[in-house]
Amino acid sequence: MTELVLQALWSGILTGSSYALIALGLALVFGTMNVINLAHGELVLLAAYVAYTCESAWGASPLLAIPAAIVIVCIATALTYGLVGRIRRDRELNSLLLTYGIGIMLTNGILLIWKADIRSTKSAWLQDAIVFGPLYSMRSELLFFAVSAALIAGLWWWLTRTWAGRAVRAVASNRDAAQLMGIDPHRVEFVSFLVAGLLAAFAGAAIFSIGVIQPGLGISLTIKAFIITVLAGMGSVPGLLVGALLLGLTESLTTTFFSSALQELAGMVLFLVVLFVLPNGLFGTRWRRAH
Amino acid sequence: MCMRKALGMSLLAAIGCLLPAMGGAMAEEFVVGVEVPLSGSLARVGTGMSEGINVAADVFNRKNGKHKIKLITVDDESSPAKAVAAVEKLASQGVVAIDGGYGSGNIGPASDAANKAGLVYITSGGVDEALTQRGLKTFFRINNTAGYSKAMLGLLSDMGAKNVSIVYLTKEATSDLAKDVEKALVAKGVKVTMHAFDPSITDFKPIINKIKLQDKPDVIAMSGYENDYVGILRAAKVLKPEVKAVVGVWSLATSKMQEDFPDLMTDVYGTALLPFPAEFTTPDGKDFAESYKKLYGKEPDYLGQFGYVQSQLLFDAIVRAFDAGTLKTGGIATELRKSNRDTLIGRVQFDEKGDNPNFSHRMGQHQGKQVVVVWPKEYANGKMIFPGVPW
Repeated sequence: MTELVLQALWSGILTGSSYALIALGLALVFGTMNVINLAHGELVLLAAYVAYTCESAWGASPLLAIPAAIVIVCIATALTYGLVGRIRRDRELNSLLLTYGIGIMLTNGILLIWKADIRSTKSAWLQDAIVFGPLYSMRSELLFFAVSAALIAGLWWWLTRTWAGRAVRAVASNRDAAQLMGIDPHRVEFVSFLVAGLLAAFAGAAIFSIGVIQPGLGISLTIKAFIITVLAGMGSVPGLLVGALLLGLTESLTTTFFSSALQELAGMVLFLVVLFVLPNGLFGTRWRRAH
Repeated sequence: MCMRKALGMSLLAAIGCLLPAMGGAMAEEFVVGVEVPLSGSLARVGTGMSEGINVAADVFNRKNGKHKIKLITVDDESSPAKAVAAVEKLASQGVVAIDGGYGSGNIGPASDAANKAGLVYITSGGVDEALTQRGLKTFFRINNTAGYSKAMLGLLSDMGAKNVSIVYLTKEATSDLAKDVEKALVAKGVKVTMHAFDPSITDFKPIINKIKLQDKPDVIAMSGYENDYVGILRAAKVLKPEVKAVVGVWSLATSKMQEDFPDLMTDVYGTALLPFPAEFTTPDGKDFAESYKKLYGKEPDYLGQFGYVQSQLLFDAIVRAFDAGTLKTGGIATELRKSNRDTLIGRVQFDEKGDNPNFSHRMGQHQGKQVVVVWPKEYANGKMIFPGVPW
């Protein structure tokens, strides 16, 4: 039984870290612009397909494909921002509709270019088992666990310790006041979108290396990222990590002690319970008070 | 002048009356509606079926000297509502029947819509038992859960499995099959442990660990789709449970899986109509393979074969109904019910519910770069490697 529990906790942590990686970009844009980028999952998926192309065409490891994915996904996010930034009225609602439409276009674009077959890395090195006593995982899971932790720490550092990050937080806190202080909100929002694109590129390489991708996957990635963002509390980077890990652990323990058929339900119950007890999410209130 | 005009009119009227009766003697282009998912979650399987349908039309148009089949394809986007809209659109365009459909959840409402429009609906994409329990006279399918279950049970019986863990997706078709297999195995005294999983699952390690530490089975049986198989096999390759075989169902024993995931497929079993490289020995099979390669430049797969067979049966029924002058009066359903012929998936007949009682699948095993049919004996082209797992 101990072995079973330990493996469940380990699997939950690894899954949670990949969820955090997927949610980072969406949380950043949501936190800075109040825009729920419903095309975020498709942008992650686009990066995953870039990694697939690099591997299948040139035999490049998905890790080496990350720079190419960053370029392509950042262009796509810049174009998305170009459209979202033009919205003048009811930005929250209209951006929701617009990004949903962009998501559909991206899904169909991916389907046209890469077809409907499932894809995943062929790299045996990434899939090799790494065993620590009773804990089993794939090398790719450990690798992207480290990448996820580094990116979360990096994003937190950028937001709290750099002028650009502070400008992002200032715009998120009060756009008009930030503008009066000489910050160009459009520029800041554009930078946020680009950083979200960069994070999506890493997330895409991760899902291609760890799991299986197919053109219809984008929307489920967006939903998962959105749940984690809300669970964490708007704008909270540490909250994002805690929320993602909680979700991963809940799913894994539900599978181990009950049934995998209930894991989605368990995740939603966790989401509702947290929102019922803490309507601003796990770290939302504290974050707001601190700023 | 008036007399001549009256005579001319009478002659035209007589020809008009005789034309339908002479239908059999005239060449005709039949418009068939194809409703398949070409986008959304079922895009891959829908595309595979669509390829088979196109091949059937190509073969028909080349072989049938008289009549032509024209296909109008509408993408149902893997959604039940869009599937109904697609059927209604096709009905309004005057098609004589609907071919296609994938996923029992989409096929149910789509075939209801076809029935309301008085159109025959034929498919190989949904094995849910409820589909044939609705009493529709216009619904036909060439495969069913019983045929898949029979194949899996036959193989497990040949292996002498005493303890089986079944890992299955919580969708209708996959859970129906898993429960059928469980029931039959338990009746034979085999110990069975069931593990349902949600479509959203990304990490199968907790399930495989339970199988490894608690169930300790001889065989892991999987009822899911390609992405699930890859996840399960990857988790199993990491945890290495001590089992003798891994058996799956559709979309597993294919050349595509071998090509894309070679290290995961070693010695894995799945349903397979034909070995790979495909060996088509019948003239019909050769026509299919030749046309498939010509149109798509690749080896045919099982989805194409199913799509081809259902369409072949439909096109033949359309021609027979036309020849009998009953095309517009429910003749296609009547003619389909009379079908009794050998096809690429075996003999096909339809019972009063529109189901094919003869359907029984075959089991193949990935052996090196080949897929070898190992069950039943009469179709086997090699022996199974047992025990054998990818790790």
